Amino acid sequence: MARTYSGIRETRPYTYNDLGGGSVPISEDFEKQCLKLADRSFSQGLQCQQINSISALVSLEESVFVIHSPQGCSGCVTGAADGYRVGQAHRGVKLIKSPRVIISNLDQNDIIMGGEAKLREAVALAEKRYAPKMIFIFTSCASGIIGDDVDAIAADIQPGVNAKLVPIHCDGFKSKVCASGFDAAFIAIQKYLLPQEPQPREKGLVNLFAPTSISYKDQREIERMLGLLEVKVNYIPFYSSYEKIQKITTAEASTSICKVFADEFMKELDETYGIPYAHTVMPIGVRNTDKWFLGIAELIGKGDLARGYIEKEHARVLPQLEGIKKRLQGKRVFICGGTGRSFAAAALIDDFGMELVGLETPTYDLDAQIDVEYLNGIHKNYVIDVANMQPFEQVNLVNKLKPDLFIGVPTWSARFGIPTTHVLDPKRATMGYDGILYLGNKIADQIEHPGFNRKLAPYARLPYKKSWYEKDAFQFIKEVK
Amino acid sequence: MSSVIESPRGTCVLGGVNAVLSAIRRVCPIYHSGPGCCMQTTAGESGQAGLRGPFYLSAVSTPCSNMLEREVVFGGEQKLRDEIDGSIEIIEADAYFVLTGCTAGIIGDDIASVTREYSSQGIPVYPILTPGFAGDSLLGYETAFEALLDFVVDKEPKRQSDLVNLIGVVPYHDPHWEGTLEELTRILRKLGLRVNTFFSEGQGIEHVKSSSSAALNIIVSTHLLKKTAERYEEEFGVPSLRFPALPIGATLTSQFVRAVGEKLGLDKKLVESVVNEEETYVYHYYESIIGGLSWKRFAVVADGSAAVGITRFLADDFGFTPVVTIVSEPIFRDSDRERIEAGIRTLEFGNPPDIFFLPDHYDIRSKLKEYDGVTLLVGSSLEEEVALELDIQCHVMSYPVSDRLVLNRTYSGYRGALTIVEDLFNNL
Repeated sequence: MARTYSGIRETRPYTYNDLGGGSVPISEDFEKQCLKLADRSFSQGLQCQQINSISALVSLEESVFVIHSPQGCSGCVTGAADGYRVGQAHRGVKLIKSPRVIISNLDQNDIIMGGEAKLREAVALAEKRYAPKMIFIFTSCASGIIGDDVDAIAADIQPGVNAKLVPIHCDGFKSKVCASGFDAAFIAIQKYLLPQEPQPREKGLVNLFAPTSISYKDQREIERMLGLLEVKVNYIPFYSSYEKIQKITTAEASTSICKVFADEFMKELDETYGIPYAHTVMPIGVRNTDKWFLGIAELIGKGDLARGYIEKEHARVLPQLEGIKKRLQGKRVFICGGTGRSFAAAALIDDFGMELVGLETPTYDLDAQIDVEYLNGIHKNYVIDVANMQPFEQVNLVNKLKPDLFIGVPTWSARFGIPTTHVLDPKRATMGYDGILYLGNKIADQIEHPGFNRKLAPYARLPYKKSWYEKDAFQFIKEVK
Repeated sequence: MSSVIESPRGTCVLGGVNAVLSAIRRVCPIYHSGPGCCMQTTAGESGQAGLRGPFYLSAVSTPCSNMLEREVVFGGEQKLRDEIDGSIEIIEADAYFVLTGCTAGIIGDDIASVTREYSSQGIPVYPILTPGFAGDSLLGYETAFEALLDFVVDKEPKRQSDLVNLIGVVPYHDPHWEGTLEELTRILRKLGLRVNTFFSEGQGIEHVKSSSSAALNIIVSTHLLKKTAERYEEEFGVPSLRFPALPIGATLTSQFVRAVGEKLGLDKKLVESVVNEEETYVYHYYESIIGGLSWKRFAVVADGSAAVGITRFLADDFGFTPVVTIVSEPIFRDSDRERIEAGIRTLEFGNPPDIFFLPDHYDIRSKLKEYDGVTLLVGSSLEEEVALELDIQCHVMSYPVSDRLVLNRTYSGYRGALTIVEDLFNNL
């Protein structure tokens, strides 16, 4: 994988991270390849790729995670660790564990002299304390800039330890797209953990790649649906193990629950091991669930089985949608989410007859173009903000557009007093056909109960000057010369 | 100097400084750092402190230059200027602080020169050097105070005899900071004092400014803010009273009240009447739960100030048996270590616990497993795993607190003495 792709998402063709405007002109300009590369001259903080690399792997069994960095780069791992603990609780684990995380804790001396000694010490501690099967080593801005050769150090230590050492190159400053961190993790898995040659196949085994935010209930539902196609699921990488990772190369096919998770890795599995893959959408909403399920089913020659099931589910679920539609028809919605979930939510609201007025998504690329063209066929010219969060732009747009509902992280838009909700849920299935009903009722319920946001709004303290709300939300996005 | 560490409790200098700034009303931090630092520092500080998010600017709403390869190679000072210009244009703030991450720190961008371009025109933009590799978040807390003294605090104070600064309780790193500051402020007001905390009750830059006019710094901490105390004394003649424990429970809180009264020369009758009134309030409730909490042999894992406060309260006010107390923050000075040990050892009744200073999570877990017969473990969310293994009650009271919400809850002061008992009850 590393041979053909650096793991840095912005190096892929036709990829834009700083862009804003009407959905119709944007998709037309993209089509004509007239979009200019741009950057924000003012921006708010981004998520770095290291956060994604760590969170993708932190629930792996038999592992120790060594972060080669100063202490601060462990900030988000504590959040990922909470997710891991909750995930264990949902899976019925009694003795809930924390992930084993060791920080090399680079200080001023190490910055000058190099961090090799501390990295060696951290790996030795990991081996001595836990005798794990895998030790993942995550790089950082600091280790990258001072030039610690983590691959060489790991190669030198490897003969002396039982664990497989897996260095992951996820220096934050190397990419502004946090999804690059997923790629960095998979590049390392392929390089250090997988056999390099094609393996004998296990009949009916399918790799299912799923990002951090997938709840156990969603996992169960997706596995159940794949079970209808008479396949066995190798769920990767959450709550997975060395053995399950080894099985990746023995699968007959691969698919992913998220468009930006493992897409490059699946391509690599296809090219190197001959494992075909289905790269579609996140199975949220009727259209996307159909599309996702058919995608993998057709790939393994079970298209008819899938179509039969889809027909049955439509007959069961679509009539039930009518009641939800009555509550939601015509409501104007602003959506903000990660790449997979933002487009999934946008497709979902069509099931309920809602109108899209604004869409915030981190990256615009060939994949996004397909979704936007589809959405343009349904909705009027809505606003697209290609941004990784950037709440200053979001509040400017939401204040102007005055939607009836905001879908996404509610921290800022809730303070305008409008109802907010999310298509994430840790405890209920949001994917598949029952998920549609659950989300529809959730959205309608939250619109009908706006009390918290409504009453909070007069007391809320957003930090922006009044004048900002009068200005162009995209004024800081400037063409890169 | 820092060591390799498993599951550290806290982030870096940048995280500590940012936690302080985010707790002061209408202050805007501007990160000159790689992408990610804003989330790492917020998730690792406020995110681990009862799950509250600072309301004004935090995580992905923090202005950040998001330095990439280009800035690392060519320098990021122009990018920083653009970032400051944008911040001033759109964000309402009484002060803007430029903070550096590792990236800017290593390549050596001269942020002080850049901020001077603004401050020389009267725009309140100030630099704080905070590269993560310089140390941990508690050093960040102290660094923030240094910066406030350098740039904000009023240089020509007018002494106000009824004004005190209540400091040493670290925003977020002490998960109950806001409730604690509110409760101690409530008590100090009964003594006729006005209280600057900088962080609670919507206090802002004006309270930081007036801190040089105070009659006293009350530092509630076993060891933090040593240099800050010296500077207030030398530069502004403001003396300091260090109360070397979190005042948890009636006994410690009354000691706190009397110490403040004595240092300020307050009317003894007033001080004693406040103590009496408050203790009467606490014991009114305690009288109604006699026998409500079964006896425990307890272990504590907490930072220095909380370790002293929790151990003393549970042993002396509640009659539980202390077995082992582990101080989980790195303590660098011998004198600080001795002060903390003395604080834990000074019990009215019974034998003191064994005391260890162990910042590494593996060492903490291993040490706790050496003790048989502990029935209550008071620690952080990280200790829940070992409590499950040992099959004992675990109460999460110290940082990090990642599995319960903390709003105005506090275990300190007189009111906190009731909350702690409510929370420790467990009939399983």
